[in-house]
Order: sequence, then C-alpha cells, then structure tokens
Amino acid sequence: MKSGFLQIALGIITSIGGFLEVGSIATAAQAGASFRYGLIWAIVLGTLCLVFLIEMSGRLSAVSKHTIADAVRERFGFDFAVWPRLAELLVNYLVLGAEIGGVCLGLKVLTGIDARWWAVPVALILWFALWVGTLDIIENATSILGLLTIGFVVAAVKMHPDWIPLARGAVAPVFPPHDQSGQYWFTAVSILGATISPYMFYFYSSGAVEDGWGEKDLGSNRITAIVGMSFGALMSIAVLVVSAQVFNPLGIDLKRYEQIALVLTPALHKWGWPIFGISLAVCCFGAAVEISLASAYSIAQTFGWNWGEDEKPAQRARFSLTYTILIFLSIIPLLLGVDPLKQTIFSMALTAIVLPLAILPFVLLLNDETFVGTHRNGPIGNFVVTFTIFMACIVALVTIPLEIVGGG
Amino acid sequence: MPPTHATRLVADILDKQLVKGEEKLGKVDGLVVVLREGKPPRVAYIECGTAVVARRLGRWCERFVLALNRRFGVRDKPRFRIPWSKVKGIDINVEVELDEHPLLAWEEWLSKHVVGRIPFAK
Repeated sequence: MKSGFLQIALGIITSIGGFLEVGSIATAAQAGASFRYGLIWAIVLGTLCLVFLIEMSGRLSAVSKHTIADAVRERFGFDFAVWPRLAELLVNYLVLGAEIGGVCLGLKVLTGIDARWWAVPVALILWFALWVGTLDIIENATSILGLLTIGFVVAAVKMHPDWIPLARGAVAPVFPPHDQSGQYWFTAVSILGATISPYMFYFYSSGAVEDGWGEKDLGSNRITAIVGMSFGALMSIAVLVVSAQVFNPLGIDLKRYEQIALVLTPALHKWGWPIFGISLAVCCFGAAVEISLASAYSIAQTFGWNWGEDEKPAQRARFSLTYTILIFLSIIPLLLGVDPLKQTIFSMALTAIVLPLAILPFVLLLNDETFVGTHRNGPIGNFVVTFTIFMACIVALVTIPLEIVGGG
Repeated sequence: MPPTHATRLVADILDKQLVKGEEKLGKVDGLVVVLREGKPPRVAYIECGTAVVARRLGRWCERFVLALNRRFGVRDKPRFRIPWSKVKGIDINVEVELDEHPLLAWEEWLSKHVVGRIPFAK
C-alpha cells in the first residue's frame, strides 16, 4: 500500500500530464496576450469541474474496484462503450501527436534543432520509458521534473501583476471590446477544452485500481483531486499572467510557439528561455505518457485484456503493443510537416466535441449503488457534473462551426 | 419461490470481467440461454470472443471479424463457450475454472512472436 505522499504524486502527475500540457500552455498564453486577465475565470471554472470529475473517477475506482472503462462497459454494455472508446482513440491519437510535438518544440527551444528531427528520438524515449518503467517511477519522475514549471509562478510574481484586476478576472468574465468578442469566446472554449481532458479520468482511475485503492483512500483521493488540479491550475494561470504582462501591453497576438517561448525572458532573463524549453518539454512528455497509457488502459479494459504498467510487457502483450503502435503512429503528422500548434488547436477542439460523450456516464455511475454503494454523489457533485455536461455540449456546438471557419 | 439473491443476467453478468485466478481472460461477451419445454430457461454458457461482441454491433461487423480471423487469426474461431458449471464465483469479476481454453491465444502469440522479441520485454 502506498503512502499518502505517493498517492498525491499520482494526482500531481495526472495534473502535470493532463493539465499543463501543450494545449493549456498555448491557450493560456494566447488568452493572456489578447485579453490580459480577462479569461482567468475560464481556467478557474474548468478546474472546478475537473476537480469534481477527477474526485469522482477516483471514488468510483476506490469503492467499486472498477476503472471507468470497465464500469462503462459493465453498466452500459459493449454496444455503447465501443463508441466513446473509438472516438477517444481518434482524439487521443491526434492529442498524443500534439504533445510529442510539444516535447519536440521544447527541445528546439533548448537546442535550436528543428522540431521534426526530434520526433523519432522523442517517440523512442517515450516508448522506452513505458516499456521498462513502472507506474511509480513514471509518476514520481514526472512529478519532480514538473516542479520546474514553478518557474512560471516565480516569473508571474516577479512581474508585479495588478492583483485586484487579476482577482476580478478570476471570478467573472471581463468583456473585451465588441469587435473581439468572437475571439474572446473561442479562446474561452479552447481553455475549457484544454483543461477538461477525458484521458485524465481513464488514467487516474486506472492508476487508482492499479495502486489498489480502497474506501479508506477516499479522503486522500479528495485531497489529491483538489491539490493536484489546483497545482495545475496555478501553473496555467501563471502562464496566462506572465503572457499578459509581457505581450498584452505590446499588443502582440501570439501566432507561433517561438513567440510564446519569449514569455519568461523579461522576468527570468537568461534563464527564461531554457526554463521555458524544459517546462514545455517536461509537461508535454508527462501528457504524452498519460495519453499513451490512458488509451492502452481503456482499450484493454473494454475488451477485458490483461493490463497494467507494473508488469513486464511480455505478460501484457496486447496492452503493451497498443501503446507501442499508438506512439509510433502518432508522430506521422509531425514527420509529414504538420504544424504542431495547428494540430494542438485542432485536437483541443475535437476533445471538446468528444467530452459530453465521455462524461455522460459519470452521472449514472456515480449514483448507482451497485458501483459506489453508500458513497454516491451528493447534490453538489451531481449539479457540477450535469453543469459540466451542459457546458461541454455548448462548447462542442460552438467549436464545430468555429473549427470549420478556421478558428478564432 | 424466487431465489433470495436474484441475479440480473444482463445487468450483473453480461460484460463483466472474466478471470481465472490472476489472469484476465476477457469479458463476458455473451450469454447463451437454453429454452426448455415445461421448465424454466437455463443459462447454459458464457460466450467469449471478438465475433461475439462484433455480433452485438450487427451482422456486418460479425462477418467482418470472421473474415479478418480467417485471414489473420491465430485461433480457429473467435468465439468460445464456457459451460455455466465452470463458473466458480461472481463478485467484481466472474471467476471461472477452465483447464484448456483458447482465450489467451492472441496474448500468447503476440507475446511469443512480437513483444517477446523486443528487448527488455521479459
């Protein structure tokens, strides 16, 4: 049985991998540059929903000993479960490509070597880490390396933001001039899409089952969800604030990652550039780990295969082969020269479209006595998850036309 | 007299994880119920295999899976029946007692021919 600290490590890696990743960095930086503090509320709102959903994933797994993918198949049948799985597999494929692209861009910032050259080595390192590593090693290494992203918080504080407008932006929308409202809402939607990523739930609940959580872990599950996700939110807000301080006064509209990379330089000087590069690479690597495993977990669990990151690959042949194939296929767009930032924004939009389908089962499962016994959702939990589904549907409806016309 | 522990076949058994000891064998992909004249129906088999789940999506999907299996399969038919008498327990999982079964044929084939040949797999 693992200690509370290690459990929280699962929360922090879930957070680093799922929260502060290529999508959040890009959307938060864009939001800060274009709208100063006006979109912090979107990060806060997304995080609030995410805390509840992550807590529910952990609670479902701790009480029922089922992962979400298991529970969805058992409760709704194969005929239902197969569709969200297929949709998520497609989305995960694109998001994984975007995250590997993010690692490559981080390495490009550090070395100056073009991102495409990094695709194959990064895919190999990622695959190797999963192939030989155990969940503990991966969790802890990513958690510790992920602490580097505190650099964003340091930079944000050093830039002396105006705390009162910042706090105001955190609790309510600060509307931009009318001609920018389209882009404002599109950015808000992207932030929500980048914040609430379905693969986080599959990863977290599989980790909980693999680590053997039980009912006595419900307390630390709650703390993990709150602390881990708040950590991610804090980093995300820090990216937004730094970007607001640096780019907003100059009226710079971020179009390329190279521009975003300059964000830490005014506060951290010569350290700004490398810390940005390392942070981007580590966060995206964490996300890539999480997406690869989450995809393999959910496929294996849907078909009832042996699964588990702590066993040797030969004993979990189908599971290990699933992430292997996914990782190496996912770098194809990058090798073909697709722009990682474009792929990121496209895949965030797709995530938003799949989201309602992915979280709909939560309402039923978390109120089903056969799964959660006496630990059913309270009225607040049910309200939040229903609200999230409602919001996700709107996000999906808004995203599709915006995606067709080419985004904000 | 109705049984005290009513088991709902579709809700409680179908789609559950099938295990033999620590080994995950697959899911309860289908249930075979035998209708008997003058007697109540009897659950005869648990059905497992890709063809069984494919059938649940439609005949086209089943045909597709069977065609794939004929071309690439490592076992005769992606469909296997476990007699109900082999079911030892039902809790979170459905525990079965089987001596020989082809349910892990793919797992073993991939382990031997593909995954096992990659370094650090064992």
